[in-house]
Amino acid sequence: MKPAKFEYHVPSTLDQALEVLGSLAEDGDAKILAGGQSLIPLMNMRLSRPEHLIDLRNILELQRLSVDETSVVAGSMVTQREVEQSAAVAAGNPLLTSAIGNIAHFQIRERGTIGGSIAHADPSAELPLLAVLLDATIDIRGRVQGRTVQAGDFFVSFLTTLLEEDEVVTQVRFSTLAPDEGWGFREFARRRGDFALVAAAATVRLASGNYESARLAFSGVADVPTLLHEVSQLMVGEQPSRALWGEVGRRAALAIEPTSDAHASTEDRRDLMRYLTLQVLEDSTARALHPAPLSGRSRVGSDPLQLP
Amino acid sequence: MTMEISFTLNGETMTRRVEPRRLLSDFLREDCGHTGTHVGCEHGVCGACTVLIDGKAARSCLCFAVQVDNRSVTTVEGLRTEDDTLDPLQTEMHRHHALQCGFCTPGFLMSAHALLAENPCPTRAQIVEALAGNLCRCTGYTSIVDAVEAASKRSEVAQ
Amino acid sequence: MTSATPQSVAAAAFDDAIGTSTPRKEDARLLRGQGCFVDDIEFRGMLHAAFVRSPVAHARISAIETAEAEALPGVVAVVTGEDLARLTTPGTITQENATSLRMETIPVAKVRFAGDLVACVIATDRYIAEDAAELVDVEFEPLTPHLDMFSAQAATEDPVDPDLPHNLHTHETKVYGDVAGAFAQADRVVEAQFRSPRLTHVPIEPRGVVAHWDEGRRALTLYAGQQTAHVARTRLAARLGLRENQVRIVSPDVGGAFGQKIPLYREDITIAAMAMHLRRPIKWIEDRMENLTASNHARDDAVYIQAAVRADGIILGIKAALWADFGAYAYFPPSYIIDVVGWLLPGGYRVANYEYTINVALTNKCPAGTMRAPMAIVTWATEGLVEKIAAELGLDPVEVRRSNLIGLEDQPYVSAPGYTYEALTLREGLEEALSRFDVKAFRETQAQARQDGRLLGLGIATVLEPTTYGSEWYKKALGVGSGHEAARVRIDPSGSVSVSVGINPSGQGYETTLSQVVAAGLGTDIENVAVLLGDTDVAPYGMGSRGSRGAVAGNGVAYLAAVDLHDKVLRIAAHLSGEPLSALRLAGGQVTSAVDGDPLFSLAEIAWIAHMDPSRLPAGEPPGLEVHKTYDPPPMTFSNGTHICVVEVVPQTGRTTIAQYMVVEDAGTLINPMIVDGQIRGGIAMGVGHALFEEVLYDEDGNNITATFMDYLIPTMDVVPDAEIHHLHTPNPHTPRGMKGMSEGPVQGSVAAIALAVQDAIRHTGAEVNELPLSPRRVRHLLRSTEGQNDAD
Repeated sequence: MKPAKFEYHVPSTLDQALEVLGSLAEDGDAKILAGGQSLIPLMNMRLSRPEHLIDLRNILELQRLSVDETSVVAGSMVTQREVEQSAAVAAGNPLLTSAIGNIAHFQIRERGTIGGSIAHADPSAELPLLAVLLDATIDIRGRVQGRTVQAGDFFVSFLTTLLEEDEVVTQVRFSTLAPDEGWGFREFARRRGDFALVAAAATVRLASGNYESARLAFSGVADVPTLLHEVSQLMVGEQPSRALWGEVGRRAALAIEPTSDAHASTEDRRDLMRYLTLQVLEDSTARALHPAPLSGRSRVGSDPLQLP
Repeated sequence: MTMEISFTLNGETMTRRVEPRRLLSDFLREDCGHTGTHVGCEHGVCGACTVLIDGKAARSCLCFAVQVDNRSVTTVEGLRTEDDTLDPLQTEMHRHHALQCGFCTPGFLMSAHALLAENPCPTRAQIVEALAGNLCRCTGYTSIVDAVEAASKRSEVAQ
Repeated sequence: MTSATPQSVAAAAFDDAIGTSTPRKEDARLLRGQGCFVDDIEFRGMLHAAFVRSPVAHARISAIETAEAEALPGVVAVVTGEDLARLTTPGTITQENATSLRMETIPVAKVRFAGDLVACVIATDRYIAEDAAELVDVEFEPLTPHLDMFSAQAATEDPVDPDLPHNLHTHETKVYGDVAGAFAQADRVVEAQFRSPRLTHVPIEPRGVVAHWDEGRRALTLYAGQQTAHVARTRLAARLGLRENQVRIVSPDVGGAFGQKIPLYREDITIAAMAMHLRRPIKWIEDRMENLTASNHARDDAVYIQAAVRADGIILGIKAALWADFGAYAYFPPSYIIDVVGWLLPGGYRVANYEYTINVALTNKCPAGTMRAPMAIVTWATEGLVEKIAAELGLDPVEVRRSNLIGLEDQPYVSAPGYTYEALTLREGLEEALSRFDVKAFRETQAQARQDGRLLGLGIATVLEPTTYGSEWYKKALGVGSGHEAARVRIDPSGSVSVSVGINPSGQGYETTLSQVVAAGLGTDIENVAVLLGDTDVAPYGMGSRGSRGAVAGNGVAYLAAVDLHDKVLRIAAHLSGEPLSALRLAGGQVTSAVDGDPLFSLAEIAWIAHMDPSRLPAGEPPGLEVHKTYDPPPMTFSNGTHICVVEVVPQTGRTTIAQYMVVEDAGTLINPMIVDGQIRGGIAMGVGHALFEEVLYDEDGNNITATFMDYLIPTMDVVPDAEIHHLHTPNPHTPRGMKGMSEGPVQGSVAAIALAVQDAIRHTGAEVNELPLSPRRVRHLLRSTEGQNDAD
């Protein structure tokens, strides 16, 4: 399984990269090489055969990770591992830390990038799901101009985003979680590190014992990550209870017709949506009610996340 | 069309010309003569091809050789001690019968080295979490976990 | 050839290397990454091959256009079935009372499965070869794909094999005892069915060969991971039209085989033929997608079983219908594997009245073969039947086992199909396992958990594992074939020892165990023994590694050869010292007085004389110290085991996790207990795959949709249990040192124990587990049907 031939470009600056991409995008078939963890398997199987690869690994300005009170800002070439192991991210947005720990295996995360995963837009991937749940903003640049897109608009369909041929994701901005914002992330995979058949993510806030806000989203159930706004609004004004979470899960499962494939049927995915909803709502509610102290650094082989 | 790359392999500086599409796994094995890194799947799942790039575990089948220009690569051959004895991880794998056919073994060694470098005293659950991305068809894995656990208890294991 | 155990040179006289957990010699190179696997071998001027494969399941080849591929720089040749037909002859598999099946080296007229060979590209490197393979233009005329074994007999339109008018190759019934009478007398007839998925071996090292033709010597060397190198050599020579002594096969370090590296594949023959034709060395290494779709599949079978039972649980008779999906071509006689399922099916139970029918279908899928415990369905079916008997009669399944299992006092026991069971602790092993696992306490825990909505389940599996397969067995089962093995042991003039046997390792640790048995048999140190395996120029002609014959046949013959040398050394020492034989002892490389322990000669001194000063030898004793020995083991030997497994099934998701796992294994005399435990753990892991994760799937057009590791899921570290292992040691009365051999029993046991544990976990729903693997999807389907919801798929 050897890839087809391509010409290789390794620019040192973003402007150079955009210049090359811009000129090639017109006639040739050019792709960005970020971490390569999604692209290279496809190339080895010859399912993807770009004539040109533009490697962003030397572009320092894309490798910056910064965390402040309101945001986690990841340059597109920041590795998943770096975000996973960042104490600042764990403090500001532990949902990110937790979810990223579910991406494949640590060897993949050492090279896989934030921008790469977002641009690849696999329907079962964790980062696109989080981007949609947290309404992340995605900075994009082309040769001529840049733009910023909300995550909810960015993912168009199966492995397809709003990115034009000559555009590159430069940065993804996730908001931090409020101190009283509870979060939950659960995914169902056959074995540790496998693609999620379904993943669920939620954030909630409570006031005076009732839900003040709630967001619930899934990956693996459609071509793009799916934020179920109406369903999550059922919770607003209500008190937490298993019955409520169960109802939310039931409605979530019926709100869409989930994908059916060799791994899981539509009904299987509906079962999982119900089950994972219960879990993430329970987790996020518990966290909202009892905010955890600043969590420590995630290391290789950190405590395994329980597979549901 | 080939490009010249310059990198360190197990501490030694190498310069080679290579076609861009040449996978790092093939490059290490054939162009550099280091056949200890094994190819099991070429789509990043089995982990037999695991090496260290700049000290971090990586699947060499998911990397083009050109991507290690100005980087450092460590393979299983780089675990060689001065007097050619087995290092603590290798020793414990030997003592615990943590290999049978040996094909997956270099990949496990490199992944386990990366694990212990960051987490010198992992729990069994943490070992499993870290090594679940390496496939073995022979051993049933328990002996590998035992070996890594035993190696972690030896103080010589240091980065 | 008898299977006698050496008498006078009794085991007790030796410093015994047998039975010790000696760390492995192989590890030194493997841990350093210094193993030599096929892909590590290279020759100057070596070329690389890639195959063009059929994208369709069944089609006539109407045209192949190779010009564009041939014109690509770096391409040396592009060849098709017609070219290979000029260089090689087809292979034929025969079977008594059945149609012979031919297999061309590369098909000429039609392709029979998605992944079938169409052409071969030879180029300067594999990347270019793959580029060229894409440029080969093939025109296909589609034919009806046949994908269902049950409809094989009716498949007369475009049958898979041109020599068979439909697809049902084998249909045979065997009857033993009074089956009709047993069923007439029965208080009840219990029925059950079991469907195993199609699986594939997945050695982490895929297949590959390097072929080297020496023009000057007119000699071919094929480097290949080969379990049965000598037999492959015999076949390869015939296919290439060479004398057998022009062919050498070298099996270097092999990265797992599990039965997949027994056949001589069409790719191997193609590469060898092209190396001769082009007069260049050629390497072919398959990639993982080829390995998953186009190498060898296995275990695609079904058992429909009925038991005639008495109200007290005694089994009076059994009838079984067995089905096997053999794929598109025959690398083995089609009846071979499923017939083992047939005769083994009654397991360790007393069943005098037994009838079974085997049905083997050809389909447009990858050819089937033997995968470590090819008969794995057997134990699940037998134990599943016993559980069902107990459930329908309202009896305790443990009691039903107890009343029907063969105990030591019943042995030697001759099974209905005529197999002799001896020294098997089937019932005793069960008792041992139950003494370590409190079933009653588990049932209480299970009931409590059910109250909390948690589903726990218990599976018990009694395993009867056939091992060794001597020549008498091949004669009886297939009409022809050998189960003998051969060893050569040599003591060099300086006293170092080397042993070579016809078995070929792929992870079993033969270099270590052979050192142990030779050290024990001869009386030298383990470190003093060099082990040379895998090279047909060096190893004596033997039947190779398969069917768990490594211990009894392979290590057994080496032990016997070592004992012969031991005897010769003592004869020489007796002559030189004037002492009687009975007064001498050879151990640790020293001949000593058995009376006072005084050292008399070193092994080196005797060896020197034997080679370099033979006039000092006793009259009639030939010079030299080398023995070639062959050994035909008993027609069959057996190991047995009991597996106990506790699972938890999450009802909402269908996920099964293994909470506890225990094995009691009786494999007779163990050469290296550490290696045996490794085999048990590895076998259990394979069973986890079969029971919970693995299945090869084809879509309705015959495309393999589990063609990568993303879709064909083998067990990972997080899903395999840490099994608790206990041993019983009941020696076989007929084999060297009482060895029995093992490696497949743990697969049989874990498939059964896990499947039955899941059945137990969901028994209260009324759902029946008839199919594997028990993926979350399958379990949800079973549970959903009892939850009153529609499966909306």
